[in-house]
Amino acid sequence: MVLSEFEDLSLLLDEKLLRFMDQLELLEEKRAALNSLIEQGWFSISKARYSMGNKQVSALQFASEIEPLVCVHARTLDNGEVDFCTEKVQPKCSNEPEKHETPIEDVGPQEEGVRRRIKPKTDTMEKEECEEASSKKSPEITPVSRSERSPQQDPLKWFGILVPQSLKQAQSSFKQVIELSAEIATLQTAVLNTRQELKHSRKDKLILQERASAAQSDKIED
Amino acid sequence: MAGRGKLIAVIGDEDTCTGFLLGGVGELNKNRKPNFLVVEKDTSIAEIEETFKSFLARTDIGIILINQFIAEMIRHAIDGHMESIPAVLEIPSKEHPYDASKDSILRRAKGMFCAEDFR
Repeated sequence: MVLSEFEDLSLLLDEKLLRFMDQLELLEEKRAALNSLIEQGWFSISKARYSMGNKQVSALQFASEIEPLVCVHARTLDNGEVDFCTEKVQPKCSNEPEKHETPIEDVGPQEEGVRRRIKPKTDTMEKEECEEASSKKSPEITPVSRSERSPQQDPLKWFGILVPQSLKQAQSSFKQVIELSAEIATLQTAVLNTRQELKHSRKDKLILQERASAAQSDKIED
Repeated sequence: MAGRGKLIAVIGDEDTCTGFLLGGVGELNKNRKPNFLVVEKDTSIAEIEETFKSFLARTDIGIILINQFIAEMIRHAIDGHMESIPAVLEIPSKEHPYDASKDSILRRAKGMFCAEDFR
C-alpha cells in the first residue's frame, strides 16, 4: 500500500518536474524575444532622436495629462496561478459621470473654453471667486466637460505632428513588448506555482519514505 | 475577472519610460500620482524604493516593469514581494543587459534544486 502510494507520488513528482522545466524553457524563449524587441525599440528611438534632435524625444515632451491606452486584466485561476492579458482601453464615454473625481480648480488661461451665458444662481459665489482669479477663465466648466477636453491621444502626437517613421517603429516595438510582458508575467507566476507544488510533493515523498523505512525496520525486528 | 483593467507601471531610465509611454501604458492626471518613474542619475535610492512600494500598495496596478540595474538598487524590496499581483518584471536597460542570474523570480525558482532532489 505504502509502496504504491510512493510510486504514484514519484510519477506525480516527475510530471511536475517536467512541466517546470518546460515552463522555464518557454520563459527563457519569451524573455529573449522581449529583450530583442526592447533593444529594437531603443534603436528606433535613437534614430528618431538623431533626426529630430536630442530634446525633441525626451521626457520633456510627455503630456501633462496622460490617459492609458492599454490595460492588463489579472485573472486568478483555481490552481493559484494568475493569468495576465492585455487589452486596449476603450475611449471614455463623455456621458458617464466621473463620480470619483473631485473637481480641481485650474488656475490660468484655458486652452478651450465655453462661456455659459445663462448663469445658475447656485454658482454665483464660485463665479465671483473665479472671476477674481483670472479674467480669461470660464468658471462654469464642470469636471465632466474637463475630461471631454482631454481625450485619449496617441502618444506620438506629443513629439509633433509629423514624426519620423523610426518613432512609429519604436511605438510598434514597445506595443509588442507590452503584450509579451503580460505573457511573461503569467509564466512567472506559473513557474513559482509549480515550484511550490514540487516542494510540497517532495515533502510528502520524504514522509512516505520515512514511513516505509520505519515499517521495514519493524519487520526486521519481528 | 471582469471590470476595469489594471495599469502597467514602469520604473526605468528615460528611454525605457519613453518607449513604454509611447506604447500607451502611461497614466498621469491631477487626481492620482503617475504610474511611471523616470530614473535619472540624481534620483535617490530612497525615492525609487518609495515609488516601488507605492506601486505595490496600489490596487490598480497589475504589472511593474523595472530596469534590472534599478532593481539591483532595491533588491531587498523586490525579494520581499511574494504576492502574484502586481507581477514584477525585470527588463534590461541600454547600458546593462539582462542577467538571468540576478532576476528575483528565476533565483527563487533555481534555488530549490540540489543533488538530493533528483534521487
